[in-house]
Amino acid sequence: MTDTERNRDRDRRVIELYERVLEIEQRLIPTGLHVFGRVSNSNEIESLLKMVASFERSDIVIEPASGQTAPVKALTDLIAAGLGLPEYAALLKESESSEERLRDRERVESILSEAVAIFVLDRSSQRAVDCLAATAFVPAHESVKVFEVLARIRFELERSDELRSLSRALRGEYIEPGPGADIIQNPNVLPTGRNTHAVNPYTVPSSTAVRKAGPIVASLLERHTAETGRYPETMAMVLWGIDNIKTQGEAVAQALNLMGVRPRRDSLNRATDVDVIPLAELGRPRIDVVMTVSGIFRDLFGATMALLDKAVRTAAALDEPDDANFIRKHVQARMSEDRLSIDDAAARVFSNAAGNYGTNVNFMVLDSQWEDAGELGDLFVTRKCFAYGRGSDAREARALLDRALAQVELTYQNIDSTEVGITDVDHYFEYLGGVSKAVEKRSGSRPRVYLSDSTSPGSKVRTLEETIRLETRTKTLNPKWYEGMLSHGFSGVAEIEHHVTNTFGWSATADAVDKWVYDEVARTFVLDEEMLERLRGMNAHSTRSMIGRLLEASGRGLWAADESMLNKLREAFASLEDQLEGVTV
Amino acid sequence: MKITVFYVGSSLPAPLTRAERDLNEKHKLGLELALHNCGSSLSEKAWSEAARDVPSSEIVFIIHVTDQDNASRLVDAIASHPSITVIAINCMPELMRRTRMGKLDFSALMKSRGDDESTPAGVMRRLGTWMAETMRARKGSSSSKKKAPGGVAKYSKLIQRLPAILKLVPRAGKLGDIKNYILLYSYFLQPTPNNIRSMILFAIKHYVPGQDRLRVRPPETKPSEGIYHPDADDLFESLPLYRKWYEGRGRKLRPTNTVGLLLMRPQIISNSRRHYDRLIRAIEDEGLSVIPALSTFMDNRDACRSYFVSADKPLVSQVVSLTGFSFVGGPASNDSDAAVEFLKEMNAPLRSMVSLDTQTIESWEAGRLGLNPVQSAMQVAIPEIDGATEPFVYGGMTSAASEPIPLEDRCTRIARRLSRWNRLQTESRESLRIALVIFCFPPGKGNIGTAADLDVFPSLIEILGQLQRDGYRVDVPSSADALREMVLEGFDDGANSVAHIAYRMNVDEYRSLCPYVENIEAEWGPAPGRINSNGREILIQGIELGNVFIAVQPTFGYEGDPMRLLNAESGAPHHGFMGLYTYLEKGWKADAVIHVGTHGSLEFMPGKQVGLSSGCWPDRLIGELPNIYIYSVNNPSEGTIARRRSYAELISYLTPPVENAGLYRGLAELKEMLNAYRQSVNEHDRIQLFDAIQEQAAVLNL
Repeated sequence: MTDTERNRDRDRRVIELYERVLEIEQRLIPTGLHVFGRVSNSNEIESLLKMVASFERSDIVIEPASGQTAPVKALTDLIAAGLGLPEYAALLKESESSEERLRDRERVESILSEAVAIFVLDRSSQRAVDCLAATAFVPAHESVKVFEVLARIRFELERSDELRSLSRALRGEYIEPGPGADIIQNPNVLPTGRNTHAVNPYTVPSSTAVRKAGPIVASLLERHTAETGRYPETMAMVLWGIDNIKTQGEAVAQALNLMGVRPRRDSLNRATDVDVIPLAELGRPRIDVVMTVSGIFRDLFGATMALLDKAVRTAAALDEPDDANFIRKHVQARMSEDRLSIDDAAARVFSNAAGNYGTNVNFMVLDSQWEDAGELGDLFVTRKCFAYGRGSDAREARALLDRALAQVELTYQNIDSTEVGITDVDHYFEYLGGVSKAVEKRSGSRPRVYLSDSTSPGSKVRTLEETIRLETRTKTLNPKWYEGMLSHGFSGVAEIEHHVTNTFGWSATADAVDKWVYDEVARTFVLDEEMLERLRGMNAHSTRSMIGRLLEASGRGLWAADESMLNKLREAFASLEDQLEGVTV
Repeated sequence: MKITVFYVGSSLPAPLTRAERDLNEKHKLGLELALHNCGSSLSEKAWSEAARDVPSSEIVFIIHVTDQDNASRLVDAIASHPSITVIAINCMPELMRRTRMGKLDFSALMKSRGDDESTPAGVMRRLGTWMAETMRARKGSSSSKKKAPGGVAKYSKLIQRLPAILKLVPRAGKLGDIKNYILLYSYFLQPTPNNIRSMILFAIKHYVPGQDRLRVRPPETKPSEGIYHPDADDLFESLPLYRKWYEGRGRKLRPTNTVGLLLMRPQIISNSRRHYDRLIRAIEDEGLSVIPALSTFMDNRDACRSYFVSADKPLVSQVVSLTGFSFVGGPASNDSDAAVEFLKEMNAPLRSMVSLDTQTIESWEAGRLGLNPVQSAMQVAIPEIDGATEPFVYGGMTSAASEPIPLEDRCTRIARRLSRWNRLQTESRESLRIALVIFCFPPGKGNIGTAADLDVFPSLIEILGQLQRDGYRVDVPSSADALREMVLEGFDDGANSVAHIAYRMNVDEYRSLCPYVENIEAEWGPAPGRINSNGREILIQGIELGNVFIAVQPTFGYEGDPMRLLNAESGAPHHGFMGLYTYLEKGWKADAVIHVGTHGSLEFMPGKQVGLSSGCWPDRLIGELPNIYIYSVNNPSEGTIARRRSYAELISYLTPPVENAGLYRGLAELKEMLNAYRQSVNEHDRIQLFDAIQEQAAVLNL
């Protein structure tokens, strides 16, 4: 290897590491908990506003009085354009491999930070607008619109209608409805204190969702082909209500795109059928997608369930070669080899029995009721093996789901929220973990597990392992996060325990947690005596549960802990047992 | 002679069935009327049966069909029988274009341009396209504050002018067919039994050969607006007339005790209104007064202004919509911004109820799907965007009868809940009793007060303080910690409870208060069971603070029970769960319940998905209690389940502040080293820095 080559390798490694450090540093995390009726602690409002300003807003009402709507461009794009650079999303992508682009990106971000900081300090936009014009040639009429959005968010965050709304509701008054989402996704969720609503299912997926789905699907397939050298023939996708409401159906649009179709709107503008994207335009095979759908999605998107089923049937009926249409290939094979009817061979939309919810995998894990991890996957199938489709909704079809999962090579879920990450709640591991474990037993090998992340302007696809590391570094092990939680005392300790348990859920269902994650959790919260004292003082019950969970991870062979560390955990656990025996019962 | 009618809704079958009988009696036509409800996508079997009627028909009516699947099939079915007369009314454009009457080519007419309503062709065009235009006008402008879209306003004006326009259209030639269409439309707009009979007869006279000797009466007209009451002989055209009549019967119309209902006019004048009548009477049985107004269809603000508001003061304290459509915009669109603005001003809560018009009561009863996707979208999801609550089913079609019938128990449940809400509005706050329910998941003392993103105990202190300021009688503990201690650390009767026991309900009391004990015993064994129980009594977890009760909701109860966990379908809640809600409603006698934080288990109990029956567990648990649910604003999906399955009114709460994660300890050091490398130009330094970076990255597992 020449010196130049060695140099280049070093530079590449440095940029790669830098990228990962930035990814951690810039990721948004919730810091603490909300108290109903209290005004948001907005002294750290800058990061929120910076992120809001990094997204284009197509439907913001600029002047509520006149009712005019106008798209508001992203400040990051305005700055980049002013400096003669590519769009910010492109900068993000290119900065992963180019020092020059990395510098450009940092320049855009530093101008953004400066402008938003001035805006926050001044409580008016004039100097910020001037600053942007002077440093990045951003036209004032464009940046003013962005600051109007930011000003409205700040105004709403400095007041709270929650208690007043509660009082009014209790007096039987009319409570105004409002959308539900993260503030960054949709600032129209403010003010809170409103009766949150879902969406009209016939509008899903929206044209924006369809537009955004293309690049994410491309990244997903790119990532998979880079790692395996070929397209996956069959994948399993988890569909939830929450992201599809907030994004008007991005995950639905992704599923349709994977199958190589797009929604067709009828003459009343409802998405009730699909159009086929020709193979030449698609430029890749149609992927066979097994959709495991939450009970909530099923309830809220009845019309969409039918749309997804139609998409499968439409793709299966196309006269295309096997290597270009895996849906047709597999449906044909099932019909000829297993003598299945078209309804059975094309069943791809699965959910709970009607009127039932959840996989119970989370309950089983939380309560340590399992012996062999395969049971968790089996339970997922038991709960989710009800096929939905034309004329035969909610029929139990265990053999069909078993067979479909046996062919799955990758499992996937779309993540849309900065506020609800994969270790924040137990539902991610019960679904994505549950289906992955079910695939592992049925196909004979663990599938690749991916998550997309559309929470920042450059949408990314990560493996489950990468996502867990990122969650762990930005939340569980991050003093900013856990100190924020601990400022809430009792509930804060419970939150930390939930994160450890949900991380454990990923070990149980997908064996996706590195040893160092548990090591660091143990060092941070248990082996640090001062910390341990704080935790047990605030909430001894949750502290005991957390240590118990770490011991369970070790006991089940999911964490190869050092013996000395285990001893300390056992000691702490025993001492908490004694404390709680004395205090309670 | 055969006429097939593909229709949607519940106001047409009864008058059509009667028309068939009357016409055969009077005119001896040997008429067979085949009726097919096309409200939701028909199954292959149902469609093939329906399609069989087409070839043998002289005339096919297609009315209100907007389901895409059914529309496509109908287009194909009539295309292969070009000699049949086809009359489409208020359908999707592709069906409207298929209208075929004599010399009339509707398709060409629809294609021609121009908006001129002074010509008969212009009128036809408007009647044929208003629905699609309305949709287009709304496309992509969901957050605009504009008024009702132009298509709707123009349509409403046009139908008022129809009789005048008709007079000017000559009867001869192609215009004659246009005149006939407009006349048929005029009958349809006033769907009294007489008019529907005339509509059929008119079509026979003009489009079945050899029948031109028939005589058809001109359309009879009914008021387009007004107030209906099942005990009155006729519609009331003004509020004073209604008030005089109503109060003459010894009932007062006070703003505080009056429920305003919005009814569909076609149901009333077609005499398909038994479900309306039952619900109205059930509400009156609760001691409430009613103003049942005819919906002004496209824009209910008009009906509200005429009958529910006087001198800017509301005359009603709750609005119950039985229209099955959005408040402003009718069937093809929804202008929720306009609706919200108006309802805020009026400040009366909107309740939207569902009649099973595109499915049968039998199909609804049989399964756990509840409402079909069409009804769930149109009659639940869209009204929710207007702020509507309490999505109850109150009646619907059956496979046997030709008119909708009421669901008795649902009507009673609705009426009692309206009465409960009314009590919250009118009683002195000092005497009202409020239950707050918190969660504990997974079960364990460390998790008392579980809620996504919410610090529950400080929140409870804020809420209790507000209740006290508002005049409710409540003892507010000194701090969040003190409150938690009270909930957590009191006497807890052993391992079967995580919290203080406020009440022990013995089995006799439980049986006498709860009618579902046997259903639960079938699954969980004899009461009181093992969960939240000491073997003799159900343990009610919580504390009482004056007229406020803070309860801890039990969990599903099968978390620790592998046998139950492994079931594909879950069954009943356990006795402890049922016991708590029984106690709150009937023992402690709460007037309302507030669930605190995202989220509990009640709304996920087995039952229909939406449009619950009295057999559904969430319905049985929440009973008659008004339900207010403090819910994270970033979770619209699970929140919507609570709205639909536990009749919750959500009060959204803010999510915690977000910040950049930032860097700490070794990560912060690594970034400095990386920047030093990037800035360094000295090769020797770079090599040394790189080694240090590699080492640091390894320590950090990067």
